[in-house]
Amino acid sequence: MSKAKSDLLQGTLDLLILKILDLEPMHGWGISQRILQMSESVLQVNQGSLYPALHRLEEQNWITSEWKTSENNRQAKYYELTKRGRGQLATERENWLRLSVAVGRIVGTA
Amino acid sequence: MKFNWTSIARFLFRRPAVERELDDELRYHLDRQIELNMARGMPAEEARRAAVLTVGPVGALKDDCRDARTGRFLETLFQDVHYGLRVLRKNRGFTFAAVSTLALGIGANAAIFSLVYGVLLRPLPYRDGGQLVVLHQQNPKAEVPEIPFSVKELTDYRERSHTLQSVVEHHSMVFLLSDSHTAERVQTAVVSGNFFDVLGVRPLMGRTFVDADDQKGAAPVIVLSYKYWREHRGGDPKIVGKTFEMNSKPHTVIGVLPPIPQYPAESDLYMTTVQCPTRSSERFKANRKARMMIGFARLKPDVSLEQAQADLSLVADQMRQANPEVYPQPGEYKMAVAGLRDDLTHSARTTFFVLLGGAGFVLLIACANVANLMFARLLRMEREIAVRAALGASKSRLVRQMLTESILVSLGGGLAGLALAPLALSVLVKFATRYSTRAAEVHMDAPVLLFTLAIAVGTGVLFGLAPAFSSTKDSAEALKRGGGRNGTGGHQIVRAGLVVAQVAVSFTLLIGAGLMARSFLKLSEVDPGFRTDHLLSLRMTPNSARYRQSPDQLSALTENLMHRIKAINGVVSAAMVSSAPLSPSGIASGPGNVDFNIAGRPVSQGQLAPQVDITIADENYFGTIGQGVVSGRVFTAHDDARAPAVAVINQAMARHRWPGGNPIGERIAFAYNPDAWITVVGIVSDTREYGLGHPAKDEIYLPTAQQGGFSNNLIVRTAFEPGAAEPLIRAAIREVDPFIGLDQVETMQEFEYESMAPPRVTTVLLGIFAALALMMSVGGIAAMMSLAVTQQTRELGIRLALGARPGAIVSRVVRQGVVLAAAGIALGIAGAVALTRLLATLLYATSPVDTATFLAVSLVFLGVGAAASFVPARQVSLIDPLSALRNE
Repeated sequence: MSKAKSDLLQGTLDLLILKILDLEPMHGWGISQRILQMSESVLQVNQGSLYPALHRLEEQNWITSEWKTSENNRQAKYYELTKRGRGQLATERENWLRLSVAVGRIVGTA
Repeated sequence: MKFNWTSIARFLFRRPAVERELDDELRYHLDRQIELNMARGMPAEEARRAAVLTVGPVGALKDDCRDARTGRFLETLFQDVHYGLRVLRKNRGFTFAAVSTLALGIGANAAIFSLVYGVLLRPLPYRDGGQLVVLHQQNPKAEVPEIPFSVKELTDYRERSHTLQSVVEHHSMVFLLSDSHTAERVQTAVVSGNFFDVLGVRPLMGRTFVDADDQKGAAPVIVLSYKYWREHRGGDPKIVGKTFEMNSKPHTVIGVLPPIPQYPAESDLYMTTVQCPTRSSERFKANRKARMMIGFARLKPDVSLEQAQADLSLVADQMRQANPEVYPQPGEYKMAVAGLRDDLTHSARTTFFVLLGGAGFVLLIACANVANLMFARLLRMEREIAVRAALGASKSRLVRQMLTESILVSLGGGLAGLALAPLALSVLVKFATRYSTRAAEVHMDAPVLLFTLAIAVGTGVLFGLAPAFSSTKDSAEALKRGGGRNGTGGHQIVRAGLVVAQVAVSFTLLIGAGLMARSFLKLSEVDPGFRTDHLLSLRMTPNSARYRQSPDQLSALTENLMHRIKAINGVVSAAMVSSAPLSPSGIASGPGNVDFNIAGRPVSQGQLAPQVDITIADENYFGTIGQGVVSGRVFTAHDDARAPAVAVINQAMARHRWPGGNPIGERIAFAYNPDAWITVVGIVSDTREYGLGHPAKDEIYLPTAQQGGFSNNLIVRTAFEPGAAEPLIRAAIREVDPFIGLDQVETMQEFEYESMAPPRVTTVLLGIFAALALMMSVGGIAAMMSLAVTQQTRELGIRLALGARPGAIVSRVVRQGVVLAAAGIALGIAGAVALTRLLATLLYATSPVDTATFLAVSLVFLGVGAAASFVPARQVSLIDPLSALRNE
């Protein structure tokens, strides 16, 4: 497994997951669909990254999980943001904004 | 790694559920993807295939999810343990050899450590034991380390010191305790009223002393020790309040002590100072030189030992200046303070640490042995490791797995060792009682178990690490080579080094055991100066209340007893003496020091008077024990109270006080009765009555008939086995007076045997350790050589095919073994020279670098090196060259 390549992606993915769960509790499938929709099909999340990330975030106690009946009437594992997760989201969001502005300055967007 | 307890708990208790949920979660995702694909118009089969493709390899994905959890680390541990156990089960021979080797090593360490911990390291069972100190009056110039205290001296230290919170006194007396039908001798501790308070001892039942119990006119009360209460009073739950007669006064039991070690000596019971007839007499209290007591104290809070020492030295100086007639010159009187724990245990320290060192050595050797076994096994499975490495097992994972395996082995060894240790412990505890009253505190408890766990894990890491690293280093290369047969050069050197180290350590251990054995042999060859065979010794304590009317009563009793005992069939002769040679009580107390003067040689003011140990004996004593007369005469029946006072001295005293002169006819007087001059009439040979290891001190013998009183120890020479006479002698004594207490009834040879118990047990233990070490080293060399030989099979086969004589090959291999042994011996000699100095205080008439021992042990190891490599070498010479060549 190449750690260096996935690190940036991972951090970004964490931010995306937290942001989406901030809107409402959601299962893994739903999160992947929502990222796709909200990014207007630019960001396609690989399942191989999504689920380990969810488990890692749960391990950090930023999100919790619960089995609930889904919109198509099946049992699905819903993830929900915790209080600590909300704090983490704020921090990561700020980091991301600072970073993107900085990167933008260098590569010259306007 | 951050430790997340909920995650670990989830892993431990909900693992199947977590796995199931992961499956369900992924299946849900897959199903939704299929639905989506179908909604976009794909046929069912196509939709499923596409969905599976987007999800990717499920196994790897699940693994990544598991990896994200903390519990993952436990999971790999479980896997490693599982795999390790399977490997160990598959290699029964290796597992058995390794576990049993370690069991011996760890068991020995656990047993010895529980001894060391219980006696030397465990905090005292007294309140704030660290603040308790012992006071020693000393005369450094005359090398007297311990002068007892007089009442006046203790009072001075109590009143003048600024660092002591309280001072306690203690002395030991033997009294007779009687109830309505029996009388028995009781070892009585006479203590100040604050004794138990200062120690912080709370009674098991009843109460201990209070200050009022130690006031003049207080009602006599006693406190029983736990052991005495259990063993002599049947653990009577209603003992408190009962009365016994002692010193013709009723004494009431007020309490029983808990089972704790007693300081400074084990006693049957305790009384306060005002009840002791000697201690409470006005004359005794007024005499600054009437010394009998031991003093100890509790330091004030936050006072260090150094501060207390400085303070008390000052008090000692003031005392010396105020009483110049009592204290000799400066430099001849000094006060030394020592921590109570050190004082309780210092005689045990050297022996115990030597034994712990020995056990530690055994464990090191066991480690080296098991490491070598691991190496041998790894060589055989190198191909497997190489395959696993090639399949992507990371190096750290492989190392971890091998460590898991070695720790499993060492934990197994530790467990088996723990099962072995208690077997040895009971013997060891008995051994320890000779060194310290703290032996009663020796148990296999939590600290010992922790220690054992720690050394088990430690040894596992130690013997697992080296093979683990060296094997993963070049596994890829091993695979290229086809793996297996040929150990790499690095292996060989490490393993040879292990064998050399093993030999060196066992060499040192064997030297230690050899020195102890030689010293013990010398000790047992010591001539005690009298004939110990066919002698029986009995200690008698008459009830003094029955013989108090006149002094003649006691001499009548003596006469009566001797008359009856001599009449017994088989009794050759009998004598009564104040202390029996080699008796446990005599060895424990050591020789006394009584001041005396020699006529015509006055002792000037401030000088130290000559001192001597006094034995009071009757006219039959020297003949009965077989002590030789060197010149002059010994006592006769005519040396009675009406005849001129006479004395017999030993050769040591004659040489010491009358060098080159003739002491016979000279007169001496004791300081306690300076005008009663006594004439020396004879010189007898020296005896080692205070222990075979202690050369005779100055001794003077005085006749019972002239000294009066009762000499407690009856010594009987019998015509046949002395034990057989015992019942007859007991019966005779009972007929004379049924209230005479009898104890320390043993043959002189039993006394002699017991007196040598401490060096004997130390020697035996070190001998066992050395034997274990030697066996393991032999095994180590043999295993090393046999593996080396197997690896060289091809080479040796070629040599044989080319016409080498088998004999030459055998001698070549044996030479390799001897070279290893020689290297080990060279290292071992260096180690032994450095370490055996620590043994010096335990050795009798043996140098710690005794040439004979070093030579003998070196030869043993050269022989062992040769013998251990001969067997594998012999096998080689029988090889069929052709099959050896095909072997690869």
